[in-house]
Amino acid sequence: MYLQSRRTFLKGAAFSVAGVAIAKGVFATDAAAESVTNSKFTNTPDTLSFYPPQSEWDNFQELDGADWKRGGIERHGVRSEENPDGIQVNNYTIVPTVCSNCEAGCGLTAWVNKDTMTVRKYMGNPLHTGSRGRNCAKGYAVTSQMYDPDRIPFPLKRAPGSKRGEGKWVRTTWDDAMAEIGKKMHDTLKKGDEISKKQIIYHVGRPNENGFGHRVPHSMGVDGYNSHTNICSAGARQGTIQWANDDRNSPDWANARLIFLQSSHAADAGHYFQQSAGLIADARKRGAKMVVLDPRMSNSAGMADLWIPCWPGTETALYLYLANRVLHEKDINGTDLVNHEFFKEWVNWDRLMANREYIEKHMLGNGYISKMPKDDSYESFIEMMKELYSPYTKEFVIKECKLEGMDHKLDALWEMYIDAGDKIATYLWRAGPIAHRGGWMITRAGFLTLALRGALRGDIGGTSFHHWHEISVAGKGDKSTVAGERPAKVDVWNEIPWPPEYPLSSYEMSHIMPHLLMDDAWHEKWTKKGLKIPKSIAVYMPRMYNPVWINPDGFRWIEALKREDKIELSFNLSPTWSETNWYCDYVLPVGLAGERNDQQSTPSKPEQRIEFRQAVLRVAAEKAGWKAKDPSRATLEAHMKFGLGEIWEESEFWPNIMVHHVDPDGSLGIRKYWASKKDPSRAVTVPEYFDAAMSLLPRLKETATKMYKNEEFPVYAYMRDHGAWTEKTNVYKPQEEELKVDSEYVYAHGKKYPKNEVKKDKFGALWIEHDGREHSIGLVKDDKILAGFHTRSKKLEFFSEWFAEWKWPEYAIPVYPRNEGEYKKMEHLVTQVHHSFMKADNEFALNTVFRLPYNIHTRSVNSKHLMEISQNHNPVWIYTKDAEKLGIKRGDPIRVKVTDTVSGLDSGYFVAMAVPTEATRPGVLACSHHAGRWRLKESVDIPGFEHPLTIMGVGAPTYEMTNDGKVGTLKPTGGLHARHDVWQFKEYNKDLDNIWWDGLSGSWQNAVAPSHPDPIAGNHAWHLKVIIEKAQADDKIGDIVVNYANNFKVYQAWRDQLTRPLDHNDTERRPWFIKRPAVPLSKKAYEVHIKA
Amino acid sequence: MQENILTQQIARINIYALLSRLLMSEVDEEMLELILKDENMLSFFPTFESWEKREQYSNKDLIEKYLNVDFTNLLLLHLIPYESFYTREDQMMETGGDNPVQAIFNAFEFNVALDKARVMAADHIAIELEFMYELAKAELKAMEDGNMQIAKEIAQIEYGFLKDHILEWAPMFLLNMKNEAGTAFYYDLADFALEFILSDFEYLSELKKRDYDYLAGSK
Repeated sequence: MYLQSRRTFLKGAAFSVAGVAIAKGVFATDAAAESVTNSKFTNTPDTLSFYPPQSEWDNFQELDGADWKRGGIERHGVRSEENPDGIQVNNYTIVPTVCSNCEAGCGLTAWVNKDTMTVRKYMGNPLHTGSRGRNCAKGYAVTSQMYDPDRIPFPLKRAPGSKRGEGKWVRTTWDDAMAEIGKKMHDTLKKGDEISKKQIIYHVGRPNENGFGHRVPHSMGVDGYNSHTNICSAGARQGTIQWANDDRNSPDWANARLIFLQSSHAADAGHYFQQSAGLIADARKRGAKMVVLDPRMSNSAGMADLWIPCWPGTETALYLYLANRVLHEKDINGTDLVNHEFFKEWVNWDRLMANREYIEKHMLGNGYISKMPKDDSYESFIEMMKELYSPYTKEFVIKECKLEGMDHKLDALWEMYIDAGDKIATYLWRAGPIAHRGGWMITRAGFLTLALRGALRGDIGGTSFHHWHEISVAGKGDKSTVAGERPAKVDVWNEIPWPPEYPLSSYEMSHIMPHLLMDDAWHEKWTKKGLKIPKSIAVYMPRMYNPVWINPDGFRWIEALKREDKIELSFNLSPTWSETNWYCDYVLPVGLAGERNDQQSTPSKPEQRIEFRQAVLRVAAEKAGWKAKDPSRATLEAHMKFGLGEIWEESEFWPNIMVHHVDPDGSLGIRKYWASKKDPSRAVTVPEYFDAAMSLLPRLKETATKMYKNEEFPVYAYMRDHGAWTEKTNVYKPQEEELKVDSEYVYAHGKKYPKNEVKKDKFGALWIEHDGREHSIGLVKDDKILAGFHTRSKKLEFFSEWFAEWKWPEYAIPVYPRNEGEYKKMEHLVTQVHHSFMKADNEFALNTVFRLPYNIHTRSVNSKHLMEISQNHNPVWIYTKDAEKLGIKRGDPIRVKVTDTVSGLDSGYFVAMAVPTEATRPGVLACSHHAGRWRLKESVDIPGFEHPLTIMGVGAPTYEMTNDGKVGTLKPTGGLHARHDVWQFKEYNKDLDNIWWDGLSGSWQNAVAPSHPDPIAGNHAWHLKVIIEKAQADDKIGDIVVNYANNFKVYQAWRDQLTRPLDHNDTERRPWFIKRPAVPLSKKAYEVHIKA
Repeated sequence: MQENILTQQIARINIYALLSRLLMSEVDEEMLELILKDENMLSFFPTFESWEKREQYSNKDLIEKYLNVDFTNLLLLHLIPYESFYTREDQMMETGGDNPVQAIFNAFEFNVALDKARVMAADHIAIELEFMYELAKAELKAMEDGNMQIAKEIAQIEYGFLKDHILEWAPMFLLNMKNEAGTAFYYDLADFALEFILSDFEYLSELKKRDYDYLAGSK
């Protein structure tokens, strides 16, 4: 009936009721519309990466999030007296900072509400060219961590008269704590003998800063830095040191054609997740392929073009297979696949070929090759390589890596690898290299495949080394201090972190620190041989670290910490409660991402960048005109003033304790390194120190000086306001950079050397003599002098000459056992969880070392958001058919018994939930060691304080513990529960009545694991041989039973059966030219005399 | 001002009011009674007028058992009576302040009480029709005041809003509604609304052709 006559509708005029009575009347004109016209808010940004311009950060208004969801101001207008139903507008100061939840150090901005002086949210920092304004779940969780209801509100001291671990605490002040601790340090150092310089140990977890922590022991003249590297990445570092004398590699993800990952690192967890993941995503968008080698189907593997589930620890074989094919095959044009132009120029084949004695004795002698090369030419070298790697065939790899039925995957890998040319980006870091004995060789072999194709040149889309992509100046604020210069090199060598069995370790042997302390026989043995080893640690200072929980053999840590004759005083600079805190004398609460002052730099792409972590409340308050009474304690004062609690941080704590307590009169020569040049009566301030440190970047200094003409500390001011600075971009092929040379000098590494003192060797390396040692400074190529790599040869070292000289000649080139007969002979390269050790159906390799993307070791237990999404995410993955065979079903509790393949000793077991899945390979279980936190009490009462302090109340269930010096047990006794006891930060914790999770996210498997120190890299080889069985009637998921007396013997077996310790022929502790981070030592400290 | 022009305007106002009311929320007994008692109104619901269920059930039961069920189906659950759903390529609704229809209302300083309307966004068909009702009312007032320039400007806005918004999608929606209707009442309502919108656009187009000379058309 279209269209009706218009006349029909005229009837509408004759309705018995007028329209006004019918219409709902939802329109009204009011004040809202006017307020909208006058506003400038963005209702819905066009892109997710929307940020206000930096120029508006000091004063930025934004609609309140809770109101925004009502439709924004366009619907409701801006709230005012006239428009009370409008949208709330917040007045912010946006302060840039840096995330501290993992090592990636992504940029953050803290949105400080100026009216309440609280941080309402943390967002990304778009000025950070690595993270580009983006963050992962852990970054956005910082708000929940900052206002964690269980935040430790003031320094705690073990109650006088109580024992460590009793859980009795009293409230103290920072000043009282500093006085007692400072005195103990003073008294120790005052002795001035060799032993006392080994008795203060600063044990740093993930530092997330670049050098400030190193300065602490260095300035005291002690060799007292201990890192967590040996449970993290020592294997990868060892392999990288051997190739490049660098600490780690650094890929150009964004421009790669092949993303070649071993493990889930970079793309879904770990180094440098989020930044790397974004760059990898960019590359894949443009067509790059991604390969993941991992026994477990991680998120990365799941979305990769190719997943290759090698048997864990055998990846070396696969890499050498690629090397074999590259050496033997040609492309369709008949051209060699080896990138000779790169390999010949930049790999030290020449030194190997010149060392015929080595070739004969160790390569020929070990049967790696059948005949000596006819001459020392490159061509003969390649011929020798062809023979060397010819045993690593496809058939061999399929058998060794247990890839039966996966031939097609190897073919696909080969195609991708070759198609990518020299644009292959990788990051060999944790996973294989840390998990296994000989894991370091995985890195050696992995880099060989890259070097052969030219991908290690560090060119666009390839792989370089981190040194060139990182800036470390946090330890170099010397000019702000009275001393005005770096402290002198330290003259002692500390055997506790650097024991003589591990001269090449990378780096400190921290995971066996309690074992060494309690190993009287070891102490006696080396004392008899002439070393001076302390029997105790006077002051043990973990910093943002939880060694008890995260290290293997946790009960040994507990034993050591409880022994006051072994650890005389201990304090943890810790933002959260932790298992370690429980056994310390002091818990000193320090800041999280927005509550600290650190310079950080992360090599996530080919550029040089620094970022600046800040105490954002202090900065916001100072911008609003607030001034601290004592400028050297401004962060602490701001936190106390603005309701965060007595939260401090190291860059103010250390200068203060040094100046006022450790060396108050300067007699120890320490004070001058921490007293302010501007006002020597007090400690150096954050602006003073970091302005001096960051002024070492010339472009930053130039820019900041122009921009902040009226500021006393312009570089500090720039970083305070921007949070990140990129000093240099497109850092490609840095080894090919020409050194400056003039008529008199050669300039290298910021120094100049008289030309007539520079000598060239026959391989083109330039050398100078300095401090009685030969240093190489560059490499002559054609008529140019190039910087070269950081190695002695200035080339990449296929042949690690020094490694051969330091007792390991048979492994000085990338090799791997070629048959079962060589497993024993080359046992240092064979993983402790090799398939040859698995005899029965219920014997497995346990893959422990993968990270969970939303948890960072021990740093997420204070975030209710992260803990909520973590629940039940850490079962034992078991391959479906393996589970079927053993009658194990989804959800079944199983006993996972740990057994050692070196000593044959059993360590006990943990009980965990089994989940049969196709996402782990046959024969290999997976259970991340990043879950399973515990507490022995729900809360502690502090005398005189009205509220009980809850311990990890959103993340850890309660357990009952027994330990008698030999056997330790842990049994869960109670889960988490809804919280109605929140007394602080209520505004941020309105949802705590909705804790539905019990917190039992895994078992403390780390305690069951014995320490497995790799004989060369020193890393704890994390993976475990396990025997599984169904749980027994009384077993509960979370139970552990540990024979830590056996674990002690396991550590000893690995140490004594596998290492090649220093002996009377050695004159130095370690090759002086390879990295030994943290404390620089003098030549004297390196010298050693071991009695026969 | 000629009587027939004013009559026409009042008719437009009343019909926009009725349509927006019925498309916005469920009919209640009072509303139903009003329609049933008013032969002019009822004449727009010819199928409903002779619907046998009307005889079988009380108004209350009719509403509860049939009309509200149909309303829910047509306007709340299964069909999407929002412009953005029909006009955006991604068929996403814009419920926030960036809804372009909302922006138009704001530009005229009309604040729409979405909570009172119980709709999700300002581009709901009933809101758009009520906006037309508001405009027509304002136009009438201007006419009555003899301010024909203002009336003309408002008529231009009506034309533009119908053309650029309502006609861009409402016919499709109303055809769907008519097809899906499970009661004579909503079947008629969809048809009524469709017919009226098209007719009104024709009227406004004619007016536009005459450069909004109201009197010219009536001669």
